[in-house]
This record gives sequence, structure tokens and C-alpha cells, in this order.
Amino acid sequence: MQNRRDFLKSIAAAAAGAGVAGRFAYDVLAQGAAGGRRQISIGGKRIRVIDAHAHLSIRAVSDVVKGTPFERNGNAAANQVIGPDRIKAMDALGIDMAVLTQQGAWWYGVPDRDLARAIVRTMNEGTAAVVKQYPDRFVGMAAFPIQFPDLAAEALEDGVKRLGLKGGGISAGFIPDKEFSAPEYDVFWAKAQELGVLLFMHPGGDTGAEAHLRGKGNLGNTIGNPLETTIFLSHLIYEGTLDKFPGVKICCAHAGGFLPSYMGRTDGACVRQPDACSSKKRPVDEYFKTQIMADSMIFRDDGLRHMIAEMGVGQIVYGTDMPFPWPINPDTILNNRLLNNAEKEAILGGNLVKLLKLSPTATA
Amino acid sequence: MQNRRDFFKTIAGAAAGAYVAGRQLPALAQRGGGGGRGGAAAVPPGPRKQISIGGKRVTVIDVHSHCTVDGVAEVVKGTPFERQAGGRALGADRIALIDSEGIDIQVLTINGYWWWEVQDRDLANRIVRAQNEGLARWVSDHKDRFVALSSVSLQFPELAAEQLDYGVKQLGLRGATIGGHVNGQSLSDPKFDPFWAKANELGVIVFMHPGGADNIIKEDAWKARGDIGNIIGNPLETTYFLTRLIFDGTFDKFPNLKVCGAHGGGYLPSYFQRTEVACDVRGNAMCANKKHPREYLRTNIMADTMVLTDEGLRHLVAEMGISQVVYGTDNPLNWPVPVEMIVNHSTLTNDQKIQILSGNLMKLLRINTAATA
Repeated sequence: MQNRRDFLKSIAAAAAGAGVAGRFAYDVLAQGAAGGRRQISIGGKRIRVIDAHAHLSIRAVSDVVKGTPFERNGNAAANQVIGPDRIKAMDALGIDMAVLTQQGAWWYGVPDRDLARAIVRTMNEGTAAVVKQYPDRFVGMAAFPIQFPDLAAEALEDGVKRLGLKGGGISAGFIPDKEFSAPEYDVFWAKAQELGVLLFMHPGGDTGAEAHLRGKGNLGNTIGNPLETTIFLSHLIYEGTLDKFPGVKICCAHAGGFLPSYMGRTDGACVRQPDACSSKKRPVDEYFKTQIMADSMIFRDDGLRHMIAEMGVGQIVYGTDMPFPWPINPDTILNNRLLNNAEKEAILGGNLVKLLKLSPTATA
Repeated sequence: MQNRRDFFKTIAGAAAGAYVAGRQLPALAQRGGGGGRGGAAAVPPGPRKQISIGGKRVTVIDVHSHCTVDGVAEVVKGTPFERQAGGRALGADRIALIDSEGIDIQVLTINGYWWWEVQDRDLANRIVRAQNEGLARWVSDHKDRFVALSSVSLQFPELAAEQLDYGVKQLGLRGATIGGHVNGQSLSDPKFDPFWAKANELGVIVFMHPGGADNIIKEDAWKARGDIGNIIGNPLETTYFLTRLIFDGTFDKFPNLKVCGAHGGGYLPSYFQRTEVACDVRGNAMCANKKHPREYLRTNIMADTMVLTDEGLRHLVAEMGISQVVYGTDNPLNWPVPVEMIVNHSTLTNDQKIQILSGNLMKLLRINTAATA
């Protein structure tokens, strides 16, 4: 296995770059300083805007990994520690609520069970504390140590039942030397299905392709992130994991990687080579219409229209990648000339109210 | 550097492509149900299908097909490349195939690019000469049904430029075909500028076909169901290739280029947004491109229609513009890409269908319309 890219390092570079390049237009945290809370309406009706894709870091993790080889990984990224700056940024954009997930995936490489358990426990208790502090602005997703499938199931259950988290955050498309579709992870998928909670998947930078994605264009991110998600989902589809666990629902970051936008080739493989599809029971679009969701980070009017045509509008949820700078202002959804009001409302919040089983009136 | 995988081994791995029920994927019955010749379509000679739109006969050009030609095997005999010269030689079955599929003119290319590993310049030149002369012979014998693109020895960029010039001017070839990398090197590297300059000068199409992204992903990473080395690897290699040409400024240096990416241009046109904004939002993007990435997508970059679904094609056209999308089949391999996907498309206008089926390529490939009347 190759080492994961240093997630925190890339975060720092992105944060610095936003200012250095003078491109504040997309710098959500800088925008946050501007003013009061924006309230978004569609057709005269106030709607609740929920962001499915928001990062957080928990400072207390550094204490847990102190003196271990993971000491540097445990340092929280300052712009991901939730506080007044994040609230201001959300206020400025008109985001009523954000779904927080812990990303970076470095703890998937922790070989010690007790340490792994302690890390995610601290993460999840920290996330729960943030939610408790801002109950009408955040919900949280549980982190888990997937390298120990039984512990992962336990952490997910603990996060949901004891800490009130709304689901789980998958923090990479890979497990060291393994795929999520390997049968040993069935215990985790079974738990997610039993709990009936949403999983949010975010790539973690380990496709083995990073060495070749250097150069201009920040390709490790531009191509590497959707690639990792594409490989992750392809395995879950082709290996039959989603058929084995039809109650599992996974929302994937960055418009779900390449597949929702380029779906044809997946079933094309079955026409050419039936053996390739021996474990897959359904046509590819059915997985995307039922079990796989995607955030709205497609930025383009026709891109979003295309995703809706392929997946159904009920599978697409607003996402910002906060605190990172991307063109994710809710106006990109509100002003999409190809969507109707019902579709805009579903994407901006309606779908997540249902998926996360939120009270529909909480922010009225 | 990793070795390029054996292109025709990969093709042979396609097994007998018997039809499997899939959603809107069209049946392959008109290809005799697949099977035969290791997954290649094989059809008996039969009547030639003629395509009309709105009652008017329309010429159909297929930009994406594979073949090998006689004469290369002798050149590489006794060299380490002896085994790689084989593959799908052109023959009467190819004509039966395009007849059955309603293809009037097929653009022939030799793919796999194993000859880019040849370090002996003279041998490299002789291989490409044999390929191009073989293509020219076939085209000369079937003038109204085929055109061909030049192979080039891109590991020797100056030589590649000469070969393209000779192929176009002396052999009547209509452009060049290339892979996504030269032994791991990005084609945006300035060392390849002589080749791009020649294509730019001649104003010919460059058709790019990937080989499973062996420049990006290790082969053992693809061991899984779904043939994902092809299913993901191919569009990945094309995405990376085109993205580098954009960000490294190659299209700015050579603004006349028309580079057609196989399989719908990979992921790039269908999932363009991340590339579109990278220079603005990623502090470490270091972009060299002078124009907005979308401008290259709508001028320099072309794509074949192999996104395989009606909605995917609608989206491809919406993102690239109708002038950039051209019909491609991957012939003789069994992909569900019948011409009816274009002819019966649910949202394209008749004019748009005609552009895709041949209008966009007529001038670029210098095809005389009278020839196919």
C-alpha cells in the first residue's frame, strides 16, 4: 500500500491558495465575514438548505494519538474546527444546516485495535459535542475504523445510538490493500443496513495513481478524487455488495465521481463480457436510483440536469465541501435554468430531511 | 516506466460478447449475436444497410475502429516485438460488418501503440511505414468505404512529424492516431511539440485511443470483476491526456488542433466541472492555459459518441457543442453502439444527427461527398 497523501497538508495548501491567488470569490470562510444570515426562499416559500458535504476536525484527537506514529495526523486543521467562523460562512451562503463528516482516512491505517477505537470514539464524541452546541445548524456522521470491520460496525452503532449521529462517514474509497466490497466488510455493511442510516463517502487520496497525477491542474484532486469514488462504487456494484445489502444507502462526494455523469460504460462491460458482471444483479442505473446518492458538486447546469436524468432528483443532495473554495453557492442551484422549483427544493434540503430523518419543521 | 499492456490480449479478453439483457443498451442481434473471433463482431455477407433521416439518405462515418495490416509482421520478425504485430487483419468480413451496421465510411486506425516502445529509430520508422502503407493499400482497394489515419513513432517526435506529413501528403491518410502517453510521458511535454506542430500545420484530425491507463494505475490494481481496467482505465487515460493538454497550454501553442478522444472523450466532457474550475479554486493548480478550459472543449477537443446511452449523448452534446461529437463504434469489438442510437435519438434534431453521423467529419477528413452518394 502506498501512503495516503497528507490530507492536512493539501488542505493547508488549498486554504492558503485561496487567498494568495486573490480568488476570494470562492473562499467561503472569507465570505462569511460579510454579514448576516441569508434566508433562502423558492417561489416565496422559505426552504431549509442542508449541506451534505462539510468537513470537520476535532482538536481532542491530538491527545489520543500523542506519542504514536499518528501524532502528526491528529493535528486538527484550524479551518475545519467548527466555531463562529463556520457559522458565519453558512449564514452568508444561506445554509441552514450542514452534515459534518471527519475526513482524511489516516486512521484506517492504525494497526492497533484499541488505539483505532479510541481515535474514532474521540472523533465521534467531539462531533456529537459540536451538534449539541449548535443543534439547529449541524448533524454529524460517525467515523469508524474500517480496517477492523467488527469495530467499524460497533463504532457506527455507538455513534448513532449513543451519540445521536445520523449515519456514517466513509473517508476513503480504499482500505489498505483491500476494497470495501471484500466479504470481510460485510459485517459493517450489515450494520449500516440494520440501522437504516445514510453513509457519506468521500475519497481519501489513495488510488495508487497520485504519482502520475502531479503537474499542472492539481490533478490529484481534479481527477484523483472522482477516480477514487468511481473505483469504490464500481467494486460495490460489480462485486454484488449492493445486491447483498439492498438497504445500504451511500451518498458520494463530488457529484458521485465520474459514474453518475458517465454511466453507460458500466453496463457496456456486461454486453462485451458477461463474466465481468456475474455478481451484479441489476442494471447500473438502478443502483443509482435506489442506493447511491451524490452531492451536487457538478457546478454546471447541464451537468446537474444530466445527473437528475440518470439518478432521479431524489438521489441528489446539495453539497459544498466547506471550508474549501469551490463554486458551490446555493445560487448555482437556485439559478439553474434547467431545474424546476420542486427539483431545486429537493436538492437543496428536501431529500436530506427524509434521508436523515430530520424533523421537517426544525428551522421554520 | 511501465510496459504498455498487450492491446490485443486485452481485446481477446473480451471473450465471446454474447448479448446480456441490459436496460436501454441496444441489442447486438444485427451483429449476429457477437461471438466468434474472440469477441469481435462477425457477420456473414449480407445486404448493405443504408441510413436515412427524414427520408433523406445520410452518409455514416465511423471514426473509431481497430485493425492491423499485412506487412508489419515481416518488419518485426526476429525482434522483441515479433509477437505484437498480430491482431485483426482487414478482410472481407470487415466489409460485411460495416455493411450490416449501416456504416458507409470507416476511419481505420491501428492501435495499441506497442511500437512506441521501440528504441531503434530505424526499426520504429520501418514499422510505421509498413502500417501506413498497408492502410493506404487497403483504402486504395476500397476507396468509397474507408479512410485511414497515420500511425506515428511518437517516441521520436521529429520522426513522427515526418511520418504524419508523408502519410497525409504521399499516402492519402487523413490524420494521425495516438495513445494517451508515450512510455509514461504526457503528450503535453514540450518534447512532443514537433508532432503537434505538424498536426496543427496540416489541419488534420488526431484520434486518441487509450490503453487502460497503464501510465496511471498499476495493472494489479484492476483485479476485479467488471473488466474495470478497460471500463475505468480507458476513460481515465483519456481524461488525463486531455486534461494535461489543456492545463499545460498545448492547445494554446497549437490552436488549430482537433483532438478526438475515444469513448466519449473519456470522463472529461461528461464531468467537466472540476477541470473547469480547478485553476480558479485550487491554489496549487499552476495552470498554464490561456483560455477558459471550456473553450478548448468546444473547439480543439472532439469526442466519439461512445457514452452508450441516449441521455449520456444528449449531455455530451450539451457540454461540447454539436460540432465536436462524431459517431464511433469501436468496431470490430462488441459494444452496444448501433447507428440507431443516433438515428432514433430522443432529443437530437435531424440536423444534429446528420452532423454527428458525418457532417462534422466530412471536411476534416477531406471526404468527397459525391463518393458516397
